[in-house]
Amino acid sequence: MRRKAVHHLFRLATGVCAAAACGVFFLIVWAIASRGWAALSWRFFTEQIRLVGADGGIFYNLLGTLILLATALAASAPTATALALLHGVYLRHHPRPRRLLTLALTVLNGVPSILFGIFGLIVFVQWLGWGKSWLTGGLLLGFMILPTVTVSLMERIAGLPARYLEAAAGLGLTQSQIVRSVILPQSVGGLVTGSLLGLARAAGETAPIMFTATIFAGATVPNGIKENPVLSLPYHIFVLAQDSFDPAVGAKVWGTALVLLGVVFALSLLALPVRLKAHEEAREG
Amino acid sequence: MARRRRWSLTKAASWTFSVVALAGIAGLAALFAVQSLPVWKHAGWGFLTGREWFFRESLFGAAPMIYGTLVVAAVALALAAPVGIGAAVFTSEFLPRRWRLAVKLAIELLAGVPSVVYGLLGILLLRNWVYDALEPFEPLSGDTLLTAGVLLAVMLLPTVMTLAEDALRGVPGAQRAAARGLGLTATETVLHVTLPQAAPGILAAVLLSLGRALGEMIAVFLVVGRQDNQWPAPVHSVRPLLEAGQTLSSKLGGAEINIAYGDPLHWAAMAGLALVLLLLVTTLTLLGARLRRTDHAT
Amino acid sequence: MHVIRLGAAVAAGWLAVAPGFAAGPLKINGSTTVNPPVAEAAELLRAEKGLKIQVDTQGGSSGGISMLAEGMVQLGMSSKHVSAADRSKFPACDFREIHIGEDAVAMIVSRDVWEGGVRALSREQLAGIYEGRIRNWKDVGGPDRRIAFFNKEPGRGTWEVFVHWLYGDAKKAPSVSFPEVGGNEEARNKVASTRGAMSQLSSSWADGKRVFALGLKRDGRVIGPSSENIASGAYPMSRPLFVLTCGEPQGEAKTMIDFLVGERGQALVKKHGYLTLAELKNPEAARDAGR
Repeated sequence: MRRKAVHHLFRLATGVCAAAACGVFFLIVWAIASRGWAALSWRFFTEQIRLVGADGGIFYNLLGTLILLATALAASAPTATALALLHGVYLRHHPRPRRLLTLALTVLNGVPSILFGIFGLIVFVQWLGWGKSWLTGGLLLGFMILPTVTVSLMERIAGLPARYLEAAAGLGLTQSQIVRSVILPQSVGGLVTGSLLGLARAAGETAPIMFTATIFAGATVPNGIKENPVLSLPYHIFVLAQDSFDPAVGAKVWGTALVLLGVVFALSLLALPVRLKAHEEAREG
Repeated sequence: MARRRRWSLTKAASWTFSVVALAGIAGLAALFAVQSLPVWKHAGWGFLTGREWFFRESLFGAAPMIYGTLVVAAVALALAAPVGIGAAVFTSEFLPRRWRLAVKLAIELLAGVPSVVYGLLGILLLRNWVYDALEPFEPLSGDTLLTAGVLLAVMLLPTVMTLAEDALRGVPGAQRAAARGLGLTATETVLHVTLPQAAPGILAAVLLSLGRALGEMIAVFLVVGRQDNQWPAPVHSVRPLLEAGQTLSSKLGGAEINIAYGDPLHWAAMAGLALVLLLLVTTLTLLGARLRRTDHAT
Repeated sequence: MHVIRLGAAVAAGWLAVAPGFAAGPLKINGSTTVNPPVAEAAELLRAEKGLKIQVDTQGGSSGGISMLAEGMVQLGMSSKHVSAADRSKFPACDFREIHIGEDAVAMIVSRDVWEGGVRALSREQLAGIYEGRIRNWKDVGGPDRRIAFFNKEPGRGTWEVFVHWLYGDAKKAPSVSFPEVGGNEEARNKVASTRGAMSQLSSSWADGKRVFALGLKRDGRVIGPSSENIASGAYPMSRPLFVLTCGEPQGEAKTMIDFLVGERGQALVKKHGYLTLAELKNPEAARDAGR
């Protein structure tokens, strides 16, 4: 009898924890949506900022974030592929370098994002003299999400059925031919999933770009590399969060937060089905 | 075995990109180490133990910031770890599949909420709640180490939960079945069979979340108060929780980065803070990764 | 592949919105105090003349000075003079200060302090608070509550005016540790939402509804930060609003400067609560304007 009571109590306690966790999620989404919904309109998405955020829309902020994300993707996708191939193919029989590679990626994954920002400030803004540039922001974000994309791809390559590779070898293909015609095409899914997850994180990051790539107002479309910052959604929120006194600005900040949340959720949701399936498969073991 | 040519375009490209990436990683660490050399020469170990930071007098003591960083992280984990692990246990052990996926969906999305959004919620909502709730203790304002810790706890919750759940699921189902077959209740199975085996992975979850907590900047910056030289007296006093403070990350994200730009010693001090933060976080990350590998190996 | 498709879409979108690749934009950075009229002037010039102007407020007045000197922006905004130290730090830049208006720094307090009876402070009292000797409002005639002083970040023009009045020189100011606030809006927000709070703030931003500007006690009189007192110099903590250049202003920078000192620009200065150049020359005009 007592054992059953303990069981029910424990289940209740942990259930409360789970409910709290889910509750937090709904609370946060509701808090932002209820305050930001009023600001959303066609004008909000197509106009640019006026009156220091009190009027107008976030068109160029959205565009700036998209430019940064596209650059981050262009930078991280080939690099992640290169690292994953090194890990899965070219260094397959060299355990020591492989471990070093994984170690480096693990370390990179934990680096606080503000340190990417300061790194970029020193290397790109100061040494290279680029000033604030969209390219710097994209490269730093790509660097930051590299572990996410690479690990996803590495797991996919590791999971390729051996018979594909054996069959290809049996047909007399060279190693590079196997890579190009079997491994890469079969693991595109891993690249896509990893990229979507990485971009979801990159979209919301302020610290890597605030010293290096973004400003608050005035930038539209870049026309070069040096001295070409962009606007962005997270930096816009960051600046206005500190200037939150003016009621005219208030609704727009929440609206921007809601849009940013939408972008991040959309990217995460696209990657989710694959991730959930992978998690469940692990369970059945 | 496939025929192998010595070099192909694919292989060359792979090596090139990889070397650049790895050089970047090494460069990041080396950069902060090298740029901070002047301050190590100037203050030696005093940089870490000194309790006063007055840049205009070239006094650079980072101890209060290290203290602030650790306290905020401790508060965050004290709140997030029990709830996160409890939630992970419930989701992994007691929920049927459908519900589990639904909960996982909510938590994955929660993990993606950007820190600037948390910062917005913190500065406009949380700091007023904390200020009103702590009224009997007469806090100076709503910007305290405690506020930052609570905000960070909410941010860490999904990370702790997801990683802990991964660890729990790493335990083979056969073991659970065997335990139930012997007559243990589900709870006893969890407590005596599953949890002990998942322990390294759960510890890893906590360590990795701690690493994230130490490095979080934007949300903490907005609600921690950014007051320098707050040192607890006596050391174990809880009072600093109700006062404003400064963490390594909030200092790095603030105005001094711009001010230090032209001054070599001041800049070296900021690089020193970055280096300390990097070393702290990397240690935890590596420890956590080690434990996760141990967990998977069993 | 997905990547190629995504890349093509971005490129198409880019070409669709790019207005035309003209010369580089006019970049402006600096003080959050000077920002409102300049940012609005930039919007007007963008709309009417198609100029590309970027305005940012990184690092406040100090950030404006250093970024101008380093060539990262063409115009700096500052609510303090360029000091001798700045000039020797950046010898390559021939700093020119263009006066566009005047502002005062007020000590603002939260509602409970104001209604608790504190309406003015003397220099000695302010120094006592800043140095931590006076810690409770009751020691200066107010309610029994700890003084929650939010200090402006060093390097902000607002802070420099404050310590300049108290100690004569920013370098002579004692090193203190208070919670910090950055821009003017953050200061206003935090003071408004905290009991017993005080901070330094541009006087035009004290709305008298949630934050209240104290007067200064001098020689037995109480001098408030009214426009007349600022223009006549009676209120000591006033500071000029500058737009800065290196050398003679040229091209689009000159266009912006001419706009700001001209009629429409001065109207913007007035709109955002600061004193115009005309009112500065003629304090009676400021008083008659009823502000």
